[in-house]
Amino acid sequence: MAQSKNAAATENGVSGARRQLVTKPFSRADKIFYRTSSVAAYIAVSIVALILIFLLVRAWPALEKQGLNFVFGSTWDSTPEKAIFQIGPMLWGSLLVSLIGLVIAVPMALAVAYFIEFMANKRIAKVATVLIDLLAALPSVVIGLWGMVVFSPIAAHWSELLNQTLGWIPIFANDTENFIGSPFIAGWIVAVMIVPIIASVSREIFSQIDRDLINGSLALGAGKASTFFRVILPTSGGGVVGGILLGLGRALGETVAIFFVLNLVFDINWGQIIAPKGGSVASMILAKFGEATAEELNALMASGLVLFIVTLLVNWLAAAIVAKAQPWRK
Amino acid sequence: MSDIANATSTRQPASPDLSPVARPANAEPWKRKDRAQVVGVSLSAILPALFTWFFGSTLALDATVAVVAIFLPLQLVASAAMGIRIFGRRGIAESLLITATVLLSLMVSVLLLSVLWSVISAGAQTISWTFLGQNNVYISPTTSLEYGGVGHSIIGTLLIVGLTTLVTVPFGIAIAVYLTETRGKARGAIRVLIQAMSGLPSVVAGLFVYSALIATGITQYAGWAGSLALLPLMLPTVARIAEEALRLVPAEYRNGALALGAPAYRAFLQVTLPAAKTGIITAVLLGIARIIGETAPLLLTTFAANNTSFNLFSGSMSSLPTYLYQYISNGNDTSTQRAWGAALVVLILVGILFTTARVFGRAKKTTSKSLTKAKSPRKAN
Repeated sequence: MAQSKNAAATENGVSGARRQLVTKPFSRADKIFYRTSSVAAYIAVSIVALILIFLLVRAWPALEKQGLNFVFGSTWDSTPEKAIFQIGPMLWGSLLVSLIGLVIAVPMALAVAYFIEFMANKRIAKVATVLIDLLAALPSVVIGLWGMVVFSPIAAHWSELLNQTLGWIPIFANDTENFIGSPFIAGWIVAVMIVPIIASVSREIFSQIDRDLINGSLALGAGKASTFFRVILPTSGGGVVGGILLGLGRALGETVAIFFVLNLVFDINWGQIIAPKGGSVASMILAKFGEATAEELNALMASGLVLFIVTLLVNWLAAAIVAKAQPWRK
Repeated sequence: MSDIANATSTRQPASPDLSPVARPANAEPWKRKDRAQVVGVSLSAILPALFTWFFGSTLALDATVAVVAIFLPLQLVASAAMGIRIFGRRGIAESLLITATVLLSLMVSVLLLSVLWSVISAGAQTISWTFLGQNNVYISPTTSLEYGGVGHSIIGTLLIVGLTTLVTVPFGIAIAVYLTETRGKARGAIRVLIQAMSGLPSVVAGLFVYSALIATGITQYAGWAGSLALLPLMLPTVARIAEEALRLVPAEYRNGALALGAPAYRAFLQVTLPAAKTGIITAVLLGIARIIGETAPLLLTTFAANNTSFNLFSGSMSSLPTYLYQYISNGNDTSTQRAWGAALVVLILVGILFTTARVFGRAKKTTSKSLTKAKSPRKAN
């Protein structure tokens, strides 16, 4: 490769001034070293491919039988004669819970990132960063326990107040007396788990903004608020959106914590966020797995496949956006 | 400095006075704080909360109602008023931004502290040496807390996570090597894929291993299947942080080793890897912290058990997360107590890993600073 470049260079009359040095491993040990590392990288790729293939093979019977209705229909019946497996309510429930989670988490995460990066002095910022990392390290089953025992009653009380005062708005309607197990509560639990993700990505993006831009804006007489909304957010927008999408990916795949706080019902809940019925694909897999029939198991594999494809797309998009917003990492 | 001043003064007795001029009273106007302003800001930060507390307790209002109906409007008005007083009209946006930031950050810390406090206070009542040491054989959901515990789950967690770590760490470091040390063509794509993999839903990892190993009859529920299910969850964390660590090692180190005639693999093993050691240890510890509480994949692959088992390769195995899951699902008071105890054990394990990682992380920062110091003079040339 180096030779051909040289040849091209001399042909153009630039006599080797820009000769590029290309080294290649020549000893056997070096070849093994480089080969091992690239094999490891390709194995990582093939793990993702393998997951897709295995799930697809196992899920095929269910997908073939239901077709597109698997995703849009809303019946789940495992009685052997007339088995029907459709995950519409669960898929919509996952989206709804994640959206509620994002609505709650994004302002909190951005506030934390702004606080750490632009308001707090160094010592407080350090402590806050540690606390956020700690929040990220809390296992989801522990959050689930806390959510079920401690948080659910509190949030149910909030829901009741919302229902009493704003019940005429359709999304705050609830025909039952029960406020536990609603998408609203599950959304809060998800928010607790994705705040640290969004906050740490945004904080890192904020910290890399060219300080001259911010100082320039302040010097021109802009206040902190207009600097934040017109300079900081637009310049870091890509990265922040990427962070939010990473949080969305995590929210969609959240399993155990939601399992304990959400009432899974196979009936689409379009938007009554404080009514005690909702859905989540991941939690549904966990709930049905223990006593699933063989055919039902295939349907669960298919649900896993759908979930995996959705999260993979969201995460891929997020990773690409974050990578583009962080050119200094290249 | 003073020596020079002395020297000049001895030579020329009539030299001008070089002692520093007294600071003018209006120097650094941005540091000057108007006392009325300080008092006003403090009052606007404290008064709404005090007022809310007073009215809330005297009228016996519901806490949520008090916060939403009294505190928030009062606080917003107070902040806006102070903003106008200090900056004029544009101060409204300014003060609202600050108020919102502080209140939302407080909300996050309240949530975090609530989780920590409930686990610690409820778990501390359960935890005891019997609870840490015994297993779950002959224990029913209503057995008193004096009997039975999480001993078998701690052993199971250590074994399963240990096996995952053994496999994942070399694997993850190899990927990091591919991303930093080689000029492979697929680096960008693989970096994005690793990042995307970190969002793999844990239940999908469990389903994968179940469909590949258990449903096909290769193995029954077993510890090593659980380790395998945890691998794709741990791998991205290890690979990404190890990559960061290797990237911090200056190129001069590698080039120096290569120029001295070392083959690339020895340059890596003897120069780059030791230089990045602390960062790699952080990667390992944070990777373990990521998977130690994973529940769904283990439920699908190792299942739960009551007896103590040291055999990773046959028979179902208990682990702390599955124990927690089992007892949360039971739903009665004793079971919930046991669940809090197990949650505290998990939290302590995460805390230990986390503190160790912090300590190593701090060590990493100092080395990287000393590295840049060592680097800078040459750059100046």
